[in-house]
Amino acid sequence: MKEYNFFLGCIAPNRYPGIEASAVKTSREFGIELCDFKGASCCPAPGAFGSMDINAWLALAARNICLSEKEGKDIALVCNGCYKSLFETNYRLKENPELREKVNSVLANAGYEFQGTQEVRHLIDVLHKDVGVEKVKESVEVPLTGLNVAIHYGCHLLRPKVERIFDSSERPVFFDELVEALGAKSIDYKEKMMCCGAGGGVRSYKIDLALDMVNEKLYNMTQAGADVVVNVCPFCHLQLDRGQLEIKEKFGDVYDLPVLHYSQLLGIAQGMSPEELGLSAHVIDVEPLLAKVL
Amino acid sequence: MDQEKRIGVFVCHCGTNIAGVVNIPEIVEYTKTLPNVAFADAYTYVCSTPGQEMIINAIKEQNLNGVVVAACSPRLHEPTFRRATERGGVNQFLFSMANIREQNTWVHMEMPEEATRKAKDLIRMEVARASKLEPLEAKVVPVEKAALVIGAGIAGIQASLDLAASGIKTYLVEKEPSIGGNMSRLDKTFPTLDCSQCILTPKMVDVERSENIELMTYSEVEDVSGYIGNFDVTIRQKSRYIYEDKCNGCGKCQEVCPVSRPNEFDLGLQPRKAAYVPFPQAVPLKFTIDMDSCIKCDLCKADDACGELEAIDFDKPDEIVNVKVGTIIVATGFDMYDVERKEEWGYKVYDNVVTGLEFERLIGASGPTGGKVIRPSDGKQPKSVGFVLCAGSRDQDEEDGAKPYCSRVCCMYSLKHAHQLIEKIPGCVPYLFYMDIRSFGKAYEEFYYRIQDEGGKFIRGRVAKITEDPITKNLIVTAEDTLLGEIMEMEMDMVVLASAVVPTESTQKIKKLLTLSNSPDGWLLEAHPKLNPMSTTTDGVFLAGMCQGPRDIPDVVAHAGAAAAAASIPIHRGSVTLEPIYAIVDEERCGGCATCIGMCPYGATELTHVDSKLIAHVNEAKCKGCGTCGSACPSGAIKMQHFTNEQIMSEIEAFAQGW
Repeated sequence: MKEYNFFLGCIAPNRYPGIEASAVKTSREFGIELCDFKGASCCPAPGAFGSMDINAWLALAARNICLSEKEGKDIALVCNGCYKSLFETNYRLKENPELREKVNSVLANAGYEFQGTQEVRHLIDVLHKDVGVEKVKESVEVPLTGLNVAIHYGCHLLRPKVERIFDSSERPVFFDELVEALGAKSIDYKEKMMCCGAGGGVRSYKIDLALDMVNEKLYNMTQAGADVVVNVCPFCHLQLDRGQLEIKEKFGDVYDLPVLHYSQLLGIAQGMSPEELGLSAHVIDVEPLLAKVL
Repeated sequence: MDQEKRIGVFVCHCGTNIAGVVNIPEIVEYTKTLPNVAFADAYTYVCSTPGQEMIINAIKEQNLNGVVVAACSPRLHEPTFRRATERGGVNQFLFSMANIREQNTWVHMEMPEEATRKAKDLIRMEVARASKLEPLEAKVVPVEKAALVIGAGIAGIQASLDLAASGIKTYLVEKEPSIGGNMSRLDKTFPTLDCSQCILTPKMVDVERSENIELMTYSEVEDVSGYIGNFDVTIRQKSRYIYEDKCNGCGKCQEVCPVSRPNEFDLGLQPRKAAYVPFPQAVPLKFTIDMDSCIKCDLCKADDACGELEAIDFDKPDEIVNVKVGTIIVATGFDMYDVERKEEWGYKVYDNVVTGLEFERLIGASGPTGGKVIRPSDGKQPKSVGFVLCAGSRDQDEEDGAKPYCSRVCCMYSLKHAHQLIEKIPGCVPYLFYMDIRSFGKAYEEFYYRIQDEGGKFIRGRVAKITEDPITKNLIVTAEDTLLGEIMEMEMDMVVLASAVVPTESTQKIKKLLTLSNSPDGWLLEAHPKLNPMSTTTDGVFLAGMCQGPRDIPDVVAHAGAAAAAASIPIHRGSVTLEPIYAIVDEERCGGCATCIGMCPYGATELTHVDSKLIAHVNEAKCKGCGTCGSACPSGAIKMQHFTNEQIMSEIEAFAQGW
């Protein structure tokens, strides 16, 4: 049993509690316990904080890591934004002693010191590297045969390439492999690696532009015959799901394309019920999708 | 030896380079107070003829037996002042130089007082050293009247032809089955648009016919030992499994060979057989059997194929050849940057994204399509073609192995490609995505104007990404047009990536064999970037062409000619003078421990038996005088001539005296 401190972030617990639930439940199948992370704050959001004051962003993120260092646990998370904040901070402070000293002098005011003893992992990376595609495949009770999945990796998961652990930022395959392990088909679509439009403060600052971007993505996915969008980030999830409602109001385009976090898709394949996975919280009805696979 | 030392010190103004910063009269007065200084004076340019006369006259009038010049770097004028010292009647090695320009006034120009003090320190140190210098005699060694050229692209071919024409026996070694290099892959050459093969082939034929050139294709240099004038070279002639003297180039073996595999010469764009010549104009026109893909079916040996010629022998071994040469020219050329690593452009993912060199084969008359430009995906003629310039050049993305330098040929060959498209396909529009168009050569800018007039479209901006329409296989190119300040997206039938040029892998091997260096960009390092771009820091080894840095054909040919001229000088002189700045072993003190053997970066030290005692010996010609062995020797048996312990210690003591 490997224990991680489960860093929830803000959007999953507030908007899509099903993401948290499905992550915890599906991980248990692989002997992974996602534990309550006591005292954790906002990551804080890389776009909103990082663009204003990089040192404040680093210090707040480092505080979260320090909490986990005290417990001697690695951190696991299910959000690309949290991943950018915590993984990148961990990486930079480990690599750059000067920066670490600077951040530590801020943390000292609150009685913390960054040691660099723990890892920050995205759950999708844990599933691919530690659990492995084969084990994921073995856990499937309900193969998702015939399901066309449009995968959305999300920007912060892969970029900047130098500060990440994945080989390719343009043509990655690990997420696709994990989706196909469930019996579904990962379809190729135009501009697959394009941003959802939510991050970097764009959604808060210029909603029309943000919606225009996600509209293009949804159009491309639909054109390629997608039955469902699968992501690994609650903020992308929100943009892709709730965004459809806003697009309908603003531009009149209707997609009704269900959106799932990978943990939820995995849960369905592992035979969990829609209630267990909290699918009712989604704006776009997931029912037609369930009818197709169950 | 113990005669009274009388040293003359000459302080150079170097115009205002030195005099503009430090107080020259103060330095001269100070110098006069130093021990052993019999004479001190300053002059505007000591390196000038009157400056040198001043040294010569002072030696005679003041009866000097040592000279110090405080001026620029010894790399610049040490030979000048040594000659003046010699002309004054004093052994040239009793001269020493204080660098008060590069190492003082140029770097401390804002601090005149401190710089004046530092100049005094430097002069005091050189005077102390000059007091301990010993007269030395230069050594003369004979030079073998032959040269080696490694690599037979246009650079190696030109260098060999020039050497041969001046009467020097030249061994031209090429690792591929044919000479010609990358130039033989090109269709036309910019800006004159003459056919590359047509201007290259006569030179290739000349190489084959030249009495003075011994051509060794499909061969590699395995080992080099020795030194300028006397290099011993070991060459492996890889087996073609065909006897060159028996093969008449009829090609019947190729006709019957059932094996098909991608032809490296065409970058895999068309097949070749296991028995093959890389291209029809190959020199020598001798077939090669690629044993890695040969299935030994023996069809090529049958009566209707090679038959009675009996040229084919599957058991023919490699041959090792040893040659002795006086000088060596390295002409190992370039490779293309692996542009697949720039994932955003989708090379090797999208069918219709090709590299510039592949496009040369596609548009070349001898290429897989006979010069008809077609899209790899469906064989249709493209009507719009995007050219991504600086694909991997002028790019600081180290993660993807991109190069910060300009590759110098891509702008011009892309312009040429644009012209060829317009000429060959009516209505076809080439779009060139560029940062700057660098049309720097003779008639190059005019060529750029011409392509503009012909209808080439130029978009100043780097291509951010290329995506593919999965059905039409058309490419969607996204870039920022930085002149309009707008993001633009265009659909193209085809995209050509003008990939950067990079040093070849084999250059690394040659670099080690010849103890050469490379500059931080990976290209081989020249002796001086401006005034000696064809020589290296290894005496007798010269550079020709791209192995030293990106350049186009005219520059390669000029560089190769210069390398040939430089490489022929020692051979025509018949002898070379070696600096006596080498290590010598005190045989009495040497214990034969071999510490120095492993230390020497030049392989100049070896153990020998003297009267049954094992002692170290330094090969004077190979020794560069770095002093590593001397400082490592546990018994202090190695003396570095001209940089003895005593001389260096005296400098250090003199330095300490000022503080």
